[in-house]
Parts: sequence; structure tokens; C-alpha cells
Amino acid sequence: MADHDLTARLAAHLDRHLVFPLLEFLQEREIYPEEEILAAKLPLHAFLRDPQRVQLLRPDKQYNLHMLQDRFQIGPDQIEALYDDAKFQFECGYYSDVTAYLHHYRVLSTNSERSVRALWGMLASEILTRNWVAALEELNRLKEIIDSMNFSSPLNQLQNRIWLMHWSLFIFFNHENGRNGIIDMFFHDRYLNAIQTNAQHLLRYLAISVVVNKRRRNMLKELIKVIQQERHSYKDPVTDFLECLYVNYDFDGAQQKLMECEQVILNDPFLGKRIEVGNSNTVPIRDEFFENARLFIFETYCRIHRCIDMSILAEKLNMKYDEAEFWIMNLVKSSKLDANIDSVSGTLIHDINSFCRHEQIIDSLKNLNTRSYMLAQNIVDMSQAARQEDKGD
Amino acid sequence: MQSSRFWGQGDSESEEEEEEVESEQGSDSEDDGGRGAGGRGTQNRYLKTQEDDSDESDSGHRVIRSLRDKRNDEMRSIVDQMRNAMKINDWVSLQESFEKLNKHLEKVVRVNESTEIPKMYTKALVLLEDFLAEALANKEAKKKMSSSNAKALNAMKQKLKKNNKQYEDQIQKCREHPESFEDEAADDIDDDTDDDEDSGAEIEDPLEVGSDSEADDKEDPDNDNTGPWTTVNKKDKMDKQFLKDPSEITWDIVDKKLKEIVASRGKKGTGRIERVEQLTFLTRVAKTPAQKLEILFHVISAQFDVNPSLLGHMPVKVWKKCVNNMLLVLDILQQYPNIVVDTSVEPDEKETQKGADYNGTIHVTGDLVAFLERLDTEFFKTLQCTDPYTKDYVQRLREEPQFLVVAQNVQDYLERVGNLKAAAKVALRRVELVYYKPQEVYDAMRKLAEQPEDSVEEGDAETGDEPQAMDDNRGPPPFVVIPEIVPRKPTFPDSGRTLMDGLMSLIYKYGDERTKARAMLCDIYHHAISDEFSVARDLLLMSHLQDGVQLMDISSQILFNRVMAQLGLCAFRAGLINEAHGCLTELYSTGRVKELLAQGVQQSRYHEKTPEQERLERRRQMPYHMHINLELLEATHLICAMLIEVPNMAASTYDKRRPMSKTFRRLLEVSERQTFVGPPENVRDHVMAATRALNKGDHQKAFSVVSSLEIWKLLRNREHVLEMLKLKIKEEALRTYLFSYSSCYESLSLNQLTTMFDLSEQHAHSIVSKMMMHEELHASWDQPTKCIVFHSVDQTRLQGLLFHMADKLSVLVESNERAYEAKTGGTLEGLPPRRRGEGQDSSNLGRWQENFVQGRQGGGNRSGYAGRGGGSGQGGGYQRDRGNQGSRGGYSGGGSRFQDGRGRNQSGSSARGGDGGARMVSLNRTGRV
Repeated sequence: MADHDLTARLAAHLDRHLVFPLLEFLQEREIYPEEEILAAKLPLHAFLRDPQRVQLLRPDKQYNLHMLQDRFQIGPDQIEALYDDAKFQFECGYYSDVTAYLHHYRVLSTNSERSVRALWGMLASEILTRNWVAALEELNRLKEIIDSMNFSSPLNQLQNRIWLMHWSLFIFFNHENGRNGIIDMFFHDRYLNAIQTNAQHLLRYLAISVVVNKRRRNMLKELIKVIQQERHSYKDPVTDFLECLYVNYDFDGAQQKLMECEQVILNDPFLGKRIEVGNSNTVPIRDEFFENARLFIFETYCRIHRCIDMSILAEKLNMKYDEAEFWIMNLVKSSKLDANIDSVSGTLIHDINSFCRHEQIIDSLKNLNTRSYMLAQNIVDMSQAARQEDKGD
Repeated sequence: MQSSRFWGQGDSESEEEEEEVESEQGSDSEDDGGRGAGGRGTQNRYLKTQEDDSDESDSGHRVIRSLRDKRNDEMRSIVDQMRNAMKINDWVSLQESFEKLNKHLEKVVRVNESTEIPKMYTKALVLLEDFLAEALANKEAKKKMSSSNAKALNAMKQKLKKNNKQYEDQIQKCREHPESFEDEAADDIDDDTDDDEDSGAEIEDPLEVGSDSEADDKEDPDNDNTGPWTTVNKKDKMDKQFLKDPSEITWDIVDKKLKEIVASRGKKGTGRIERVEQLTFLTRVAKTPAQKLEILFHVISAQFDVNPSLLGHMPVKVWKKCVNNMLLVLDILQQYPNIVVDTSVEPDEKETQKGADYNGTIHVTGDLVAFLERLDTEFFKTLQCTDPYTKDYVQRLREEPQFLVVAQNVQDYLERVGNLKAAAKVALRRVELVYYKPQEVYDAMRKLAEQPEDSVEEGDAETGDEPQAMDDNRGPPPFVVIPEIVPRKPTFPDSGRTLMDGLMSLIYKYGDERTKARAMLCDIYHHAISDEFSVARDLLLMSHLQDGVQLMDISSQILFNRVMAQLGLCAFRAGLINEAHGCLTELYSTGRVKELLAQGVQQSRYHEKTPEQERLERRRQMPYHMHINLELLEATHLICAMLIEVPNMAASTYDKRRPMSKTFRRLLEVSERQTFVGPPENVRDHVMAATRALNKGDHQKAFSVVSSLEIWKLLRNREHVLEMLKLKIKEEALRTYLFSYSSCYESLSLNQLTTMFDLSEQHAHSIVSKMMMHEELHASWDQPTKCIVFHSVDQTRLQGLLFHMADKLSVLVESNERAYEAKTGGTLEGLPPRRRGEGQDSSNLGRWQENFVQGRQGGGNRSGYAGRGGGSGQGGGYQRDRGNQGSRGGYSGGGSRFQDGRGRNQSGSSARGGDGGARMVSLNRTGRV
């Protein structure tokens, strides 16, 4: 059950507060024995449920607030106190307040290092309060800072990037535009390198988001290349599936891996999120993943086959015969597929579009024309601009 | 030997001698007048000892005698030659002989182990002097001489004058008492056996020799600072000086003596071995631990001086003693932690006077790391010089743990002291001794090191370690007794990997750039030989060593080449043919693989090497036990090239496009030109035969030819590798077959293919599908019947050419765009990004079609990234990013770099070849300086 569970690896890069939701998910899924999860939860709980310590905090916080509100001459000490206070709030689990505190702190503070830390704090609290829009903003801000800041060591920067990617998983799998966001961010060279260096397990999330995202199909090639490179350090059914399909063209293997993927997705805290539609409980990512994966298999299969037995196809697609026929019919109808169904023999006959050589040559040359034209245009523009400037002088 | 007499003699005599020495020193400037009488006495005594010697000579040792005998004979023959030359008045040959004689003299003296100049020599000098005077006097004869002869005469005059000054008194004696010398000379000449026995006796009977040399001491008191052998006298004297009651020897005396000996370094006529002995003696009488340490440092450097030439190596025995001295140094340092060794502080004049009970820190000048590195270098050199097929070589290799123990101790010490930089250097030395050992060899070494010392000692005793034993015994017992604290046996962790990891982490933390780079290379090498290709590859790419290798020193470049070779072998064992080929092709592109790996000198037909270059090259050679098997390497390279090239050739029958492996193509052409093909003999023939078979799709024959190579038995997991190879050959045979004969088929059943190529159905399906996907094969599956249906895609020559043109034009446009970008500072203004994207896509497409037309050029997805590399804006991004991130975080760079590498690999080898060429040239060039 726990074969492909990444929680332990993920948790290493997360704040312990952020681990909490993961643990709850695991508890719900009953992957691990209850006691183990409880044991992992314990330190945090112990703290949160200790009313005395929370009480202790109160006066302190109020004192600080007091200071802020009453006197406008706020010294640096008080500002720092604000930070500490926010930290304490966070530790106690009052996430909603923390954001406000830290926001003020960032406005007031001059200490850049601490203000970055405050930003992390804000991000965490936004995530924990499930305020995804705000969290995405914080994330982008933090990303900018990490990219622009010169760190003492490259290792440090790498670590920061990896943290950021882990934290961002919360956002990307909850925010509505997250699926584009995750691809944009993770495929950025620096982040991709960070993944390859020290966080190969993130490839699972990347792979799923690429498969699920229809519009970003072009990233598939790059993804597969990365998966192949990192094969020795990380593999799970999701990456295996892609490898089987696009590297080995082993359709049976892909089929098998796809089956395994289901469990992986359901057991993953980020991917296996349920949404209740009416009465039924669905996992949207799983459904989308399967739909797309099926399409992938089908596309690839059709590409190299002229004539396919429908029953075998249905089996490969993990569907019933009728279902498959219906599905293919839809594809043919929507002119996505250039094929006909031979119902008598139960085969799908694929028209080979015998490509015309001339067309290919023309295609490749046509493009050159436009490109050169653009280039020439640019150069002319530039020289004209220069001339005008000269005249202007 | 001479020392042993001190054991047998009473105090009174030594005191007497002491007085004598003092009086001698006092009367150095006295006139020679008084020597006449003394000279007579000594002469008599000398004669007497001579007789004594011959009396007792019967039990002489043959072994020793022969060498001495030979030397004396040689000398005698030289003297004879001189006599002959005199007779014919040939000054040129006389001069030659004279020089030879002088050279010989030293040898003879050493062999005779006496301080005395051979009578023969003195006699010859006298003869020569007389003859010279005569020749000079005879002015007319001088005029008649040929110019060369006259020149020689003049030169001789100068030389003799200079030379004879050293032996003035000897000559004088000879002139005064010619008969005694005559006697001896005659003796020498007509009674060889007598002489032999004489020498034998001298060796055998130390007491006799003792009295002999004692006589010498008295005899020539004032030629202390002249001849090379006089140092021995000096030592004797020194011994005497220190033979006093231990309490009488003060720090000052020792210090003075030390300075004296140190000052004698490099002076003409100072025997190097003697210096070592003197200094070793001094260590025994040193008064304080610090002084002992100081002297020990001098001993060690004197030991390093024993071998003056860069080419030769230090004698093994001296090396061993040196190792022991190092251990002694470490003992002292451990016992007296307040003694600090450094080079930065100029120690006080009296610094070492501070005794063992002194509390503050004592500074002693010295550089442990330098000593250790020198030791290592010498060890390396011995192995370089020794014939690897002899027992000596093995014996020497067995001594490696001895060095490792010193290194380990030095490193521990440095770490304790906190000098971590130096510790990193030492760690590198250790790494360099371990990195090339696979686990099996490592285990063997560990076992050897753990063996009880005795068995090793026995081996030593066999080779004769007596002089050392004697050395230890001579002189009084040491004043400062240092117990053996530092462990004398190395401790090795169970696996070489653990050892490497430990050392590596130290080096990465504290080492300097070169140390780190070398250590990294060693680490990669070690990973490669332990079959961890991916780890090794990642390390190599992350470290960016490839970028800077041209700037490194030659030995590091060699190491780098070795690493690449080993990486290639590792990739091959793992079945990664493309990667293996990528690693090895560069090495073989120049045909100078031996030179590049420093495993032997290759004679070039076109370029004569100067002796200087040859010597340099020889100094760089790897010792035999570190060699990478060249046959295996060649076989690996050629087989990889074959597996890549054969389908490639089959696919591109239309056009002669760039081959993947030029070397392989060339070899193939050569073998095809042969009119008669004999059975394969060497590796190359085998692979060529396999290639011919594979070309026809005959995988069985190809495999059987390849597997008949002898070298496979060198592989650890031979079965596994051969199995892999068989599979690869089958795969490529299938591909080749399809490429070559697809045009002959309308359809082909999968069944037939599986039986033809003995592949599983699934596997064959996967290969064929891949080819279809990459549009290398214009066909599709007919699923119900499991057949491949071929489409007839004909391409006219015109179309082929048009594709070519399209491709070239797209390259042109690309470079135009790049130029434009460079001009406008890399901004993309004017070209909207969307457009650019299209442009890139189109270039991609172009490549794709090229692929399609020209058949296989690596995977389709790979051509995908070839296209991606075309986007120069992106490329620039990498560059910058790499700069930012530095070495570690820059896996980024690593990743892209790898892609580059891959890209270059598959898009032919022009870029890579150029790169490699530059590297080779640079190695070569520096080599020829």
C-alpha cells in the first residue's frame, strides 16, 4: 500500500505545520498504522493543545499590539518583537493572524533576511488557511526574491528553490490556474535543475500535471527526457508509464503501469484530493489523468498501426468493448482521428496519410521565408530608427 | 662496519683519539716539516697491516670480493691504458683515461670501504706528473704535436694541477718512498688473488679494518675538506667526539655539528649517503626531543637528496628508512604536543634547546606534507622504473601499506593540529593510491596490511637488510628515547568506497582547487570501476571538470583521460552503448591513446621526438599496475562504434552524410580495401569481421566473433556483459536488416523477425515500433495479423537534395537570427516571442525531416533537443545561470551540459571532435615544450 508514498521525502522539505495536512490525509487513507501517524503528529499536537503555553503568549502579544497602536514612535526592538510574536502565533496555530502581523512587519522592517523569513511565514499561513489566491501571490514574490538574491552559497539557493517547489505543491493543486503554474515554474531551467539535483521525486507531480494539461503537450518531450535521465534515482508508476509509452513503446507495460498509477494517485496527499459532486466522491485528478493517459496510448498506438482489433484496443484502453467503440466513434466524428471502424470484423482501420514529399519541402521552406523576412524587417527598422535619431540630433 | 670497533675498545683509547683529534685541529696550519717522520711510521704500519690482511685472508667472502675485484681491475686497466698513451705521447687519450680514472676512483673507494686512496692511483698521478713535466720541458716535441694533442696537453696540465693538490701529501710520500708504492703497485699488478683476499679480509674482519682506518686517521689529518672519502674520516672523528660520556655531550656540540653537516650539502665531494649516516648518528645523540626532531627533518631531506637525478628514483632501502624516520617524527610529535612544526615561523636560534619538560610551544621548521608528497613521488617513480614483470615490482607494491600508514598518521596529526588544508593534501595522496583499486584489489591490500609484521619482515630479510640493522646498532643508545606511539599498521575500512568517502569529504571541505579537482576525478574513477555509472556521470557533469581540463596540469589531464576511459568501460558494462561511445571516441580520435593515458610511448612516424621530450614523457608514465587494459578499451570502443555505425550506415545508403564515428569508418574502409581477408588476429580484426557479419544481419556470427576475444575474461561480470552484448547485437542486427531490406518487402510478420533474430516478441515489437515512431522505417503494424506493412516511400534524388537545402537554409537563418540577437544585446525585440517559438518549431521540423529522410540519427526525441539547442537566447540563459550558481547548485549547468554533450554526440562529432582535438593538442603541446 505504501510502496510509492512520498510523504516522508516531501516532509523533509516542508514546515512541520505544512506536514500536518499530509499526515491527516494519510490517516484518512489508512495507509500506515494509526499509531505511527499519531506518533508523528504528536510533537505538534502536544504544543498546540497545551493551553497554558498559549495563555502565556497572550499577554505578550497584547502588549506588543498595545505598543504598536498607542505609540507611533516604534523602535526597531518593537518591530522585531512583532516578528517574534507572529512566529509564536504561527507555532500556536493561529494562522490567520500571522499573515496580518507579518505583513505589517515587512512594511516596517529593514532587516532583509528576516523579512524574507517573514515572507515564508506568510506563505505558510496562507497555505494553512487555504487562501490560495493570496498564497500564489506570496509564492511569486518569494520566487522573485530567491532568484534575485545572491546567496552565500549556491547550495543554499538550491535548497531554497526546493523548499519553494514543495510548498508550492499545496497551491498548485488547489488553485484554479495551478496546473499551468506548476508547469511554468517547474520547467523553468533553474527549477528543473533543482529537481534533477536534489528532489527527483517531484517529477511525479510534474508528470501528472503535464499529462493532465492538454494545452501543454509540447512539454512532454522534455519531461520524458528528464525522466530518462533521472531514471536511476527516481521512478514510480507514473514516470514508468510515460517511459513505457514513449521510450519503449511497450503498450502492455504502459497499460499495467497505468493500473498502478491509480493507487499512487489516490494515496498521494496532493493528487488524491476528493471532491464531492452530488453524492459520489470523485478524485478529479485521477479521472483527468486516466482520460488523458488513455488518449496518449491510443494516439501512439494508432500512429504505428494500420489495422487494429477493437477488442484488443479496448483492453489496452482499459475499457469495455462498447465503451471503447463509442469513445472511438466520438473521436472519429470530431475528426480527431482519421480512421474508420470496420464493424463486421471488429477492427479499426487507420488511413495512412501518405505524406507528400513536396508538401514537406514546401513547409520547411515556407517558414524560412517568413523568418528571414522578419529579420530583414527588423534590421531595416533599426537602421531607420538610427537614421532618425541622427537627424534628430 | 668501522663503527663496530668502538664496541670492542676501551674508553682509554677513545680518549686518546680524542686528544689526537684535538691536536690535529690545532695543528692544521702547521708546516709539513714534522710529517716526514710521522709519514714513515704510518707507512710501515701500513705495510704491516697489508701483510696481516693477506695472512688472514683465507676465509674471505666470495660475494663481496667479486665486486671489489672488478672495480680494482678496471682501475688497473685504466692505469695501463694511461701508460700506453704515455708511450705514444697521445695526450688526447691520456686525458680521457685520466677522467675515467678519477670517476673510477670514487667507485673504488666506496667499494673498498676504506678511506685510503688506492696506491695505484697515487702512483699513476706521480707518473703522470713526471711525464707532464717532461713533455712541457721538451719544447720542440710540443711544437710538433698536433693541435688537438697540444690542446689536450694544456688541459691536462690544468687538471692535473688542480687534482694533485688534493693528494699533495700522498704524492709527496710516494716521491719520498717510491719503493713502498712500487711494491704495492707491483703487488696489485701481478698478484690479483692476493688483492682479492686482501679485500675479502678487510670486509670480513672489522677489527682489522678498524686498526687500518685508525692508521689512516693519523696518517692524513689535514685533508679533511678535500676528497670525497674524507667525509668518512670526519664521521669517524665525529663518532669519537660523541663517544664521550653521554653527559659530556651538550646541546651546543650537537647543534654545531648539525650545522656543519647541513652546510656541507651540495658541496663537491660530499658523499650523499655518508651525510645521511652522519645525520642519523646525530639523531641518537640529540639532547632534546625538539633537537631530535630537527635533526630528523634533516635526515629525511638528506635521504631525499641521495638520488640527485629527476629520472632515477630513490633507492628502496633508503625509502624504507625514510618511512621509518617519518614515523619517528610522528612519534615525537605525538608525545610532545608542545612541539609545533611549521614553515612560517623562523625559529629561535636556541629554540630546540628547550627540553622535554619545557611547557611552551617549541617551533621547529619543517614541512611534513612536503616530505610525504616526496615520499609518494619516489614510490611512484620506483614503480615507474621497475620492470613490472619482475619480483621487485611486486615486492615494491607490497610496501604500499607502509606508505599509507605514514600518510594516515600524518593526516591524523594534521587534523589534530588543525591544519586541515594540509590534511586535505595528504588525503589526496591517499586517495590517489586507492582510487584505482577495485574492491577485490582493495581487499587484498587490506589483508596484506593486516598480516602480522613478521612475514613481511622475513621477505625483507631475504633481500638483505643487514646494513639497516647495523645502522640501528651503531653508536651509543639514543639519549631521547621515543616509544612507538603512532600505529605502525594502517587501518582500512571494509570497503574502498567508505575510505574514499571519508577522504573525499575532507578534501571537498578544505582542499584547494587543484586538490579538489584531482580528488573529484579520482572519485569519479572509483565510482566508474565500481559500476556506478550514473553517479560517476553526475559527478563529472556537476563538477564542470570538462570545461577546465585544458587548463589543468598534464598529470591531471592524464587523470582526466583515464577517468573518461574508465567511464566509457563502465557505461559499456551497463549496456549504455551511446554513452560509452561518447566517452571513448575522443580518446581514439587521434590514435594516440597510449600517450593520452600515459601508458607507454607511441612512436609517431612523422614527428621525431627529442630526447628531452621523451624523458618528460617517460616521467609521466603510469606504473603498470594502474594501467587500463588497452585491448579491452579498444574492443569496447570499436564495438560501441560498430553497434552505432552499422545501422547508421545501412540507413543512409542514399547519401554520404557525416559518420558517427570517423575512426570506425576509416578502419572499416581500410579493412574493406584488403584483397584477402584472413582470420581475425587482433582486436581490430575481430570487430571488423563482426561488422561484416552484422552488416548482413548475421547476428550469430557477429556475436561469436566478438565473444571469441580473449579480453572478455578480464571483466568481472563477464557472463552478464556478454549477454548484454548479445542482445545489443541482435537488436542492431534487426535494425540493420530492416534498414537494408525493407524496400524488398511488402509485409513482414513479427514471427519471422523474432525467429530470425532470436528476440522476444515484445522486444522486437518495441524496436520496430520505435523505428516507426522515429520515422526511420516507413511502415505500420497490422495488428490482427501481427505484420509489418511497409509503405513504399520513394524519394527522388532531387527531393533528397531539396531537403538538404532546406536544412542548410534553416541553419543559415538561425545563425542570422543569432547574429541579430547578439547585435541587439540578446533582446528579442522585433521578433515577437510567439514568432520565435514558431521559428524554433520549424527548425525542429526541419531536423525532423532530415531525420526522416536520412534515416536514423539517434532518437527522434533527441533531435528534439538538437532543435532546442538552436535557440540561442535560451543557451545564453544557461550560460548566465551556470555562472550564478557556481559549482554545486549548478547541476543546472550540469544538466544542460549533459544535453549539450548528448546533442553533440548524436549530431555527429564535429563540435565534440573539435573540442577533443583542442584538448589533445594542448596536452601534446605542453608535452613538447
